[in-house]
Amino acid sequence: MNIALFGGASLYMFFGLVVLVLITFVFYFYFSLKKREKEITKEREESTRRIYELAILKELGERVGYSLDVEEILQIITGSLRQFIDYTAVGYVVINPGKLKVNTHIEKSVSREFLSEMKSRMVASLSALTDKTYDLENIDEVLSGAIVIDEIKQNIGSLFNIPLVIDGEVVGVLTVAHVTSGLYKEADMTILYKITGQASEAVTRLQEVVKKEKGKLNAMVESMGDGVLMVDSEYRVVVANPAIKRIIKADVSKDVSIFDFIDILGGKFDIRGKLEESVSKKVSYVSERINIDEVFFEIGVYPVAHHLAKGGNQILGAVVVFHDISKDIELERVREEFTGMIVHELRSPLDGVKKIIELIVSGSVDTGSDKFKEYLNMAHQSSASMLELVNDILDLSKLQAGKFEVNKEKANIKEVIENRISFYKISADGRGVSLDLWAGENVPELLEFDPQAVKQILNNFLSNALKFTSKGGAILVSAFVYNPKEALPNLDRSKVSVFPEAADLKVKSPSLCVAVSDTGIGIPEDSIKDLFHTFKQAKLNPVDKEIKGTGLGLVIAKGIAEEHGGTVGVVAKEGVGSCFFFTIPL
Amino acid sequence: MKKILVIDDDQFFSKTLEAALPADKYILLSAEDGEIGLEKLKSEKPDLVILDLMMPKLDGTAFLKRLQESPDLPKVPVLVSSNLSSVKKISDVMTMGAVGYVIKSDESLQSIVQDIERVIGQETKKE
Repeated sequence: MNIALFGGASLYMFFGLVVLVLITFVFYFYFSLKKREKEITKEREESTRRIYELAILKELGERVGYSLDVEEILQIITGSLRQFIDYTAVGYVVINPGKLKVNTHIEKSVSREFLSEMKSRMVASLSALTDKTYDLENIDEVLSGAIVIDEIKQNIGSLFNIPLVIDGEVVGVLTVAHVTSGLYKEADMTILYKITGQASEAVTRLQEVVKKEKGKLNAMVESMGDGVLMVDSEYRVVVANPAIKRIIKADVSKDVSIFDFIDILGGKFDIRGKLEESVSKKVSYVSERINIDEVFFEIGVYPVAHHLAKGGNQILGAVVVFHDISKDIELERVREEFTGMIVHELRSPLDGVKKIIELIVSGSVDTGSDKFKEYLNMAHQSSASMLELVNDILDLSKLQAGKFEVNKEKANIKEVIENRISFYKISADGRGVSLDLWAGENVPELLEFDPQAVKQILNNFLSNALKFTSKGGAILVSAFVYNPKEALPNLDRSKVSVFPEAADLKVKSPSLCVAVSDTGIGIPEDSIKDLFHTFKQAKLNPVDKEIKGTGLGLVIAKGIAEEHGGTVGVVAKEGVGSCFFFTIPL
Repeated sequence: MKKILVIDDDQFFSKTLEAALPADKYILLSAEDGEIGLEKLKSEKPDLVILDLMMPKLDGTAFLKRLQESPDLPKVPVLVSSNLSSVKKISDVMTMGAVGYVIKSDESLQSIVQDIERVIGQETKKE
């Protein structure tokens, strides 16, 4: 029994102990779990805050990426602040040109006194940061959110300011305020600092890029030869480069308005109408030629659209480009003149032949008479000159198309020149002009060149020399090898005096030089540059008025010499004579 | 006898025209450029001038201008004959006082002769 008693009591004690231990354990676990839960909640809060911080920074980065507007950035920040900071009111002050702007959002109703206190502390902070005083009366103010109730006597309990710095300059202050005091902790302020820091960094970077790009763009527009004008959608001038100011004869250092353009263009071009059309219909327009004084322009009007990130376009204004086409018009005119001349030069001899045949067919000329012979001679001359011109035109078009073929072979240059001299000798004798060859000792027997093509050059040089040399004059063909490392050989200057000098020859390696010198009228200095030009002909008066030229021969001669790797050139002294020459590298 | 002055650097034209004109009615004088043309205009006082446009020295247009500007030059009808066929050129010379424009290659000698007779006939009537 005792045992049983003992056993019963000890059993109770044992159970009691077990229960006690169990209870202790349960409590222990309960409390430790509770503690853990608290820790987890705290951690979760912390990570939520971090995630939020990251999210807002990311969002800011993205949104700020599209904006350079400080206010917009501040609005983005203040708008998303509520999610992690408790406040009664949040606001910002920014420095706008002329005055400050304060924008406050009231979360829970406050009194006017609260707001005025908040504003003055905000401005005081800005004043301290920028070291400037601001007029509290002259401020643009915007209020939003809950209504103002003066009966609420609660004043500011907690408040903190965060400056917004862009490119090293304080541009505004962000302020958070609460009625409860001692509310804001280091962590809250830190995150706001981070956010604004990130925003200002992004804007600063963006501004730098924009400044750099703007600088490039400005430099480009400034240096452009074409006149460039850009207007906004209200037709205010945004950009006018120096070229466009010069076009409208405006002072380059002064600003211009759209009216300057309307005045100068007058009825010639409806700039206003075209701009309106361009902006409203988003269409480009390029004008016909428009002259401003003596200069011709093609005026293009193009709409300027900004492609929005969310799609679609926003019309920002229009660009007007004045493109100077005077040179094109001049070229067109020269070409027309050239074509007109060619047509005339072809028509005249052809018409002559036609009229002669008409006369003969009509039977008014006796076939046995001298008149008839004369007419036949005239017809022959006309057809010959026509054929020459047609050949010239064909050669020229071949040269221009790069299809002029030079068939080089071993040939004797002296023989070729002598052949041409004997051909022109009859006509030179007829005019009382001497025609001779002088060949340097250093000219090799055989050289690589196209004898037919070289004959063509000689024909041209010789016929020209004959045209411009009067009775009693002299023509001399000189052939020699010139090595630029050595002195020019001694030429025969007894009958003619105009020769190319070493500098005129412009050869870089030993070359054959053939020069045709005459004692003709020479060439005026200002005409020389046009001589080898396709569409220009020096206006010279030949000695013999029956001979006319198109000036094509010289262009062809130049082409032939260049195909040989050589050059052509001319030296002339007015009233003394001229010398046309070509060179062919050995 | 009527005197006709042909101012043309194209010698064939004046020669063939001379052959085509009835020799008993007209005397043909020729000048190879505008300057010589002006001299002959003063010295010979022709009844009609046939003027080419593309010529060395003084060209046809400059010749007409000179004629318009100098009151001391004899007032002679000018028939322009050229191979230039641009409408602008034709209207230009017509406003400068030419009585007619003949595109040389478009017309036969016979029709040019008819033009000459018509112009001289009109001028005679005026007198």
